[in-house]
Amino acid sequence: MSRRRPGFLAQLPLQLLLVLAVLYAAYPLFWVFTVAFSGEQSLMFVDLPAEPTLADRLRAIIPWPERMSAQNFREVLTDQPFGRWLFNSVIVAGSTTIVGVFLACTAAYAFSRFRFPGRQVGMMSFLVSQMFPGVLTLIPIYIILVKWLGLGSTYWGLILVYTTTAIPFCVWMLKGYFDTIPRELEESALIDGASPAMIFFRIVLPLAKPAVAVTALFSFMTGWNEFILAATIMDKEEMYTGPVGLQFFVGGFSQQWGYFAAGAVIAAIPVVVLFFFLQKYLVSGLTAGAVKG
Amino acid sequence: MTRLSPRARWLAAGLALALAAALAAEHRLLERAREAHARLAAQRTAVVGVRALAEVVSRAGGQGDEVRRAVERFAAAQGELAPIRVVDFNARSLEASTAPADQGEQAAPRRLVREEKDLYDQAQRLRAAVETNRQEGVSRKDEVEIERTAGGGFRIAAPVEPAGEVTGAVIAERPPPAAPPAAGWGGALLALLAAVGLFAALAWLLGDRPAALAAAAVVLLAAAALGYAAVSLGGLAADRMAMEEAVAGRLASTARLAESVLGDASFDAAAWDADVYRRGLGFVAADGTIDAAAVTADLGRTRTRLWRAAAGVTAAALALLLFVGLGGAGRLAVTVVRHRVAYAYVLPAIVAMVVLVFFPFAYGIALSFTESTLYNESQGLWEKWIGVDNYADILSDVAVVKQAEQGSTYDYENFYWTLGFTVVWTVVNVAFGVTLGLFLALLLNRQGLALRPVYRVLLILPWAVPNYITALVWKGMFHQQFGVVNQIVQMLGLAPVAWFEHPFTSFLAIWATNGWLSFPFMMVISLGALQSIPGDLYEAAEVDGASRWQQFRSITLPSLKPALVPAVIISVIWTFNMFNIPYLTSGGEPAGATEILITGAYKIAFQKYQYGYAAAYATIIFLILLAYGTWQNRVTRATEAVG
Repeated sequence: MSRRRPGFLAQLPLQLLLVLAVLYAAYPLFWVFTVAFSGEQSLMFVDLPAEPTLADRLRAIIPWPERMSAQNFREVLTDQPFGRWLFNSVIVAGSTTIVGVFLACTAAYAFSRFRFPGRQVGMMSFLVSQMFPGVLTLIPIYIILVKWLGLGSTYWGLILVYTTTAIPFCVWMLKGYFDTIPRELEESALIDGASPAMIFFRIVLPLAKPAVAVTALFSFMTGWNEFILAATIMDKEEMYTGPVGLQFFVGGFSQQWGYFAAGAVIAAIPVVVLFFFLQKYLVSGLTAGAVKG
Repeated sequence: MTRLSPRARWLAAGLALALAAALAAEHRLLERAREAHARLAAQRTAVVGVRALAEVVSRAGGQGDEVRRAVERFAAAQGELAPIRVVDFNARSLEASTAPADQGEQAAPRRLVREEKDLYDQAQRLRAAVETNRQEGVSRKDEVEIERTAGGGFRIAAPVEPAGEVTGAVIAERPPPAAPPAAGWGGALLALLAAVGLFAALAWLLGDRPAALAAAAVVLLAAAALGYAAVSLGGLAADRMAMEEAVAGRLASTARLAESVLGDASFDAAAWDADVYRRGLGFVAADGTIDAAAVTADLGRTRTRLWRAAAGVTAAALALLLFVGLGGAGRLAVTVVRHRVAYAYVLPAIVAMVVLVFFPFAYGIALSFTESTLYNESQGLWEKWIGVDNYADILSDVAVVKQAEQGSTYDYENFYWTLGFTVVWTVVNVAFGVTLGLFLALLLNRQGLALRPVYRVLLILPWAVPNYITALVWKGMFHQQFGVVNQIVQMLGLAPVAWFEHPFTSFLAIWATNGWLSFPFMMVISLGALQSIPGDLYEAAEVDGASRWQQFRSITLPSLKPALVPAVIISVIWTFNMFNIPYLTSGGEPAGATEILITGAYKIAFQKYQYGYAAAYATIIFLILLAYGTWQNRVTRATEAVG
């Protein structure tokens, strides 16, 4: 066996390279935590003296706060309207999930189980819609939502847009899963006298729970992480979502990096955890989509 | 009596339906045009009154008893202007008012009260507008504000400029104009009955000859719809002349009034009939004569617009006729009924997609052929139609390098600069992501690597972080004064770099940022593919005496290809469309040099408010993506066929 387990020493160059890569990957994250826990709005980890020595400079790049303090977290949630913005995000992302998953489930079920004129066109159009550059549809969407329907700075406006952003991916994913559920189950239920609606809600949806859960989490992440649509549609400060609010802390001439970092930690931790949970579905879904496209 | 064949009946139904729809739409168009005329006539006469009064008030110095006398005279002579208010924002005073509430205790002159802040604000807005336009030498901001009031009337505000400086405003309201007499439905009904009757007669004469009947239906529909449009458009000229005469009469009477109030006639009355930038319209001269040529030319433009709309309506009606008449509608109804359960399931999602994805997409493309901006939104698209001018503007401007007096400068807002930058951005980022991702995957895939799970999780982390946070974090790290990157630079004994002040360093900064968030995806994909390669392949190769490099080239790379090719394709599209990194990290600095196409389009739309131009820009982006998609599809098919 030539591929024997090498000793740790033999792995040293390898380990060094990996540590370097990890440094690149993890440093910005330590940076955020440091700024968040520093209790200040400054970007600097320490105050440098007028004539800094090399040691001072080295200290200035080590991501560890001079004093540990949860003050930024306290203030961002109490003095700043960030709590309100997170609440907006929860409402928008949550409703997007509910509406989006419902619409995607029904559509995917029809695409999977029924053969009807327009099925191919409908499915293809969902795929093709993924190719439209967001900016091209953003201008008309802005005009339609804000100018025509008066839905600027409202939850519904954003929920509707996010839902349609999430639908194509969810439909394709759910359709793939529905295809794997044997039809015989439904046929026997039909013979027993169940209506199509009953079959859908009582038999198919419970069986497809894992796929529905995954699509729901994806829809939630779509709504939770989206920035530019929210920044365009939500004009009023009290209607900002989390991402827009975070940008507000450090955009323009505003330099409240401590609030930004603390808010970023709060906003990112749930999705980072979700991400690791969903990662394997994400990879398979994306590559499958890419092959089809 | 022979009965009509089923085909002829479908055609007759289609003709009746389509023609009725077309005539109704044209009737509505005409009504709207006449309402617009009536509104415009009322607005122009009111503007003449308010502008004249503003001039008189200005000559009187903007305040004092003389102002109040002038206002009284105007209110008496032009009763529909009520109430009239004159505001002086320097003194924060209401100089004159004919409002019923402003009598007795509240009578002018007095200081403005808190509830009247809108009057003060409006006067200040006018001052700002006049000054801005004067400084910039253009007409960009409204110097006369015309608002629609809740009841459909107008509220008109014109600046008072006693000595070339705006000190206040004349603000007057005018009740809604009387609606023009409604156009009857008689003509439309007649056209409909004539066309359908004629068709029935033809069907009876021609018998069952579908082609001839269809042609007859098309001709009848077009003739009736366009004929009705032609007849009804004829009435517009009379409306227009009536409007000009009303304005001319008002100008003449107002001029006499102003003369008697002022005691002299040293003003240009014709200039009172003006647009919101106080530029004279030029249809009516001061002595009341009407410039027929100008009016005809302007009327011609209105006509062309309406004709275009009528032609569009007719075309749509023709489509409807053919759809119903050739049996499409019947078949559609049958299909919908037969598959009603399936359609009920897909309908909600489809409706949502149509309203918020497909319609906006089509509307965006239509918008790209117009000169829509924030300021002319209320006009219909066809009024702003300029054909391919936007595309021509974007594509024909090739002057990336501009010759200035001090050598040449780059025009970073030029489309070709942005396109080139986007291509470089995409290629560099994808190449970096693939190289680093594959390299790390190869390292992680080594047999017996210690701490592998730890490395794996740590190296995937950047992918998990929402990318708007990534963008802002790196923006902070590249901060010129306090950013940690410059701390490192200084530690190495170098001067701090102003990262976002030079295109190249700015590019380095956003490249580092995007590279950070994009390599984990490639790493995960490569790692998955590497782990699915059976180990005995390598053993066999080693038995055959293949070197490491030979194994990599002949076993590893070919096995990676099926996973990596789609990953590269998708990451090219992601990077090309990566909005948040350039937008939030560099913000396009310096001067738009690090803008990619989609952030450029966004800024044109939402910072310059040129919706039409931005839509054309975005359409070009779509075409580029489409070309890339097609090309990539062909290439993958070809390679699949070979492999």
